[in-house]
Amino acid sequence: MFSTYPGQVVVDHPVSVPIEHRFDPYVDNGGTLLSIAGDTFCVVAADTRQSEGYSINSRYVPKSVKLSDKTVISMGGCYADCLTLTKKIQQSMEWYHHAHGKTMSTAAVAQMLSIMLYQKRFFPFYSWCILGGLDEEGKGAVYTYDPVGSYERESCRCAGSASSLIQPFLDNQINFKNQETQKKNLTLEQVVRITKDSFTSATERDIYTGDYLEIFVITSKGVDVQRMDLKKD
Amino acid sequence: MDTLVSKYANSSSAASFDNEEHIGDSLTGWDAANQFAIPAFDIPMVGNPVDFLRAHTDASAENRIRIQHGTTTLAFKFQGGIVVAVDSRASGGSYIASQTVKKVIEINPYLLGTMAGGAADCQYWERELGRRCRLYELRNKERISVAAASKILSNMVYDYKGMGLSMGTMITGWDKTGPQLFYVDSDGTRMRGERFSVGSGSTFAYGVLDSGYDYNLSIPDALELGRRAIYHATHRDAYSGGSVNVFHVKQTGWEFKGNFDVGELHWEYQAQPKGPIV
Amino acid sequence: MDTLFGITGKDFVITAYDSKAVASITLMKIGEDKSRELNPHTLMLFSGEPGDGVHFSEYIERNIKLYGIRNGFELSPRAVSSFARRELADSLRSRKPYSVNLLIAGYDVKTNKPALYWLDHLASLADVPFAAHGYGAYYCLSLLDRYHREDISEEEGIKLMQKCIAELRSRMILNMPDFVAKIVNKDGIRLVQL
Repeated sequence: MFSTYPGQVVVDHPVSVPIEHRFDPYVDNGGTLLSIAGDTFCVVAADTRQSEGYSINSRYVPKSVKLSDKTVISMGGCYADCLTLTKKIQQSMEWYHHAHGKTMSTAAVAQMLSIMLYQKRFFPFYSWCILGGLDEEGKGAVYTYDPVGSYERESCRCAGSASSLIQPFLDNQINFKNQETQKKNLTLEQVVRITKDSFTSATERDIYTGDYLEIFVITSKGVDVQRMDLKKD
Repeated sequence: MDTLVSKYANSSSAASFDNEEHIGDSLTGWDAANQFAIPAFDIPMVGNPVDFLRAHTDASAENRIRIQHGTTTLAFKFQGGIVVAVDSRASGGSYIASQTVKKVIEINPYLLGTMAGGAADCQYWERELGRRCRLYELRNKERISVAAASKILSNMVYDYKGMGLSMGTMITGWDKTGPQLFYVDSDGTRMRGERFSVGSGSTFAYGVLDSGYDYNLSIPDALELGRRAIYHATHRDAYSGGSVNVFHVKQTGWEFKGNFDVGELHWEYQAQPKGPIV
Repeated sequence: MDTLFGITGKDFVITAYDSKAVASITLMKIGEDKSRELNPHTLMLFSGEPGDGVHFSEYIERNIKLYGIRNGFELSPRAVSSFARRELADSLRSRKPYSVNLLIAGYDVKTNKPALYWLDHLASLADVPFAAHGYGAYYCLSLLDRYHREDISEEEGIKLMQKCIAELRSRMILNMPDFVAKIVNKDGIRLVQL
């Protein structure tokens, strides 16, 4: 540009506009989680691989956390969001404990988590949550969530990157879907075997699942953790 | 002593769920009556939060947040009260997220809400509605009317219009004025009616419902009409399926009338003759 | 799409709206009320964005009613329309505008004159002898230009409204089932059978 009269401001570059960056605070860190409720127990299991695209960040980052002697939470999706959410749950449970002098029941944690997820309805946590534990009667309970907090109590659920591989298998083996045999209660040993088979098989076909399997078994005696190797390729 | 009392009096009246820092206070000195405001939601710090949410929930998004969707629900008035029937499928994209969703939300023993659209939106707001209806009951020593309850819901979601909520619901119940049926959605629409169907399979359900409807239907026939309309919708609409849940709203409150697996219903209906065209 | 009509006469205004409630391709209801009585001599008809119409008109209705209660006399139709226009204009410049088209029909008990105001979703206000919103306007404004006089009687007004609706039924591809007509005159607001 040129000045045409004295005193005119000369601008020799185009009008500057702010540089726009897309705000994209999410990444899928992969991994698979699963929970099965039994008559007097609950199993929560997850692999421990953490990936970002085709890279593996770590072979051992646990997805499940013990919240109390009766409750275990497992989360997949964006690991950063899962961490924050886990901490929020733990903090609220601690405050609850101080205020009421008792530990939150599984059902109460379940309702609270739904509200916590919904508080972020317009800026969601990128996380699939499964809450496993024992209810007030000592029966196994599995609560499953969508990222914005709709929740439901179920008998079994698989979420995460291999969910579409494992869930149909669970429907068939746990709920006896499309089977002629009568539905019956499974023992803890049977459930743990089904869990291990689910993960070894999923590891064969899902690149985001593998390394180790961590199984939390919740019974009236407390929470027991087992670890098992999965393929590491 | 006075200072101690005033300290606690203050902390309880100041308690709110608006801010997570107050959760500690709210657990000790929280009073539901003080907390009548709609809870505050976390909003992303971007120029346009609505675009942000859309960008991350659209089918084209790289890391898509799949919010559960899809439904067929229906409710209609007849001489014996109201029949409510729904399917039980939730889908995230093409994946069937669940076949066992409870799409009839039991707000209280006299009020039912149905769920279509975003599962979380319906669950959360109808739960909030339940809380407010209970507060109304405690304050006024009588039950809230269905008209008022549905208006509370409509007003609550209308505050968030354009923010991406998705909710299509029917609020039904029996109050002083008899059986009542309202349609409420996240656009802010609220209307009284005789017969509604909501969700992706609603057109199919209407086809069966409208053609078989008569106000003087007997109770078993009305329940069967509701069940059958939902069955036909699940048969044609891929986003609907699972099982049919049927409820009957009567003067004494609502009653659950059963859960019917669509897979079994299909063969049951196949075995029946189709009957005369009336 | 909703259609609203309003025609003034010698000592009355006749209004009509189609009573359909539509969601996407489904007709949800026939018999939906698309009008609100703001005060004994002022009626508001609304169309546009689902939800907005009811919420905006009830907001106006309650403020107008409150004015009547506080002051012991009612606002004139002209004052009502100015108030509604200003509220809509302010909303238009907010983060979340109402998107509604309105007709305000009234009878001014001070001057003994009927009044009809046309207000669109951009808050432009016009004082008119007859008006229409929606696709119906494309068919019927010419018809009203041809037949409308300032001094028509109520019978003629009803006939003219019937002509408009007959035209819509014969020419519009959309099915126009039930119209609800209301007349505002010195005695207040009443339903009329078309």
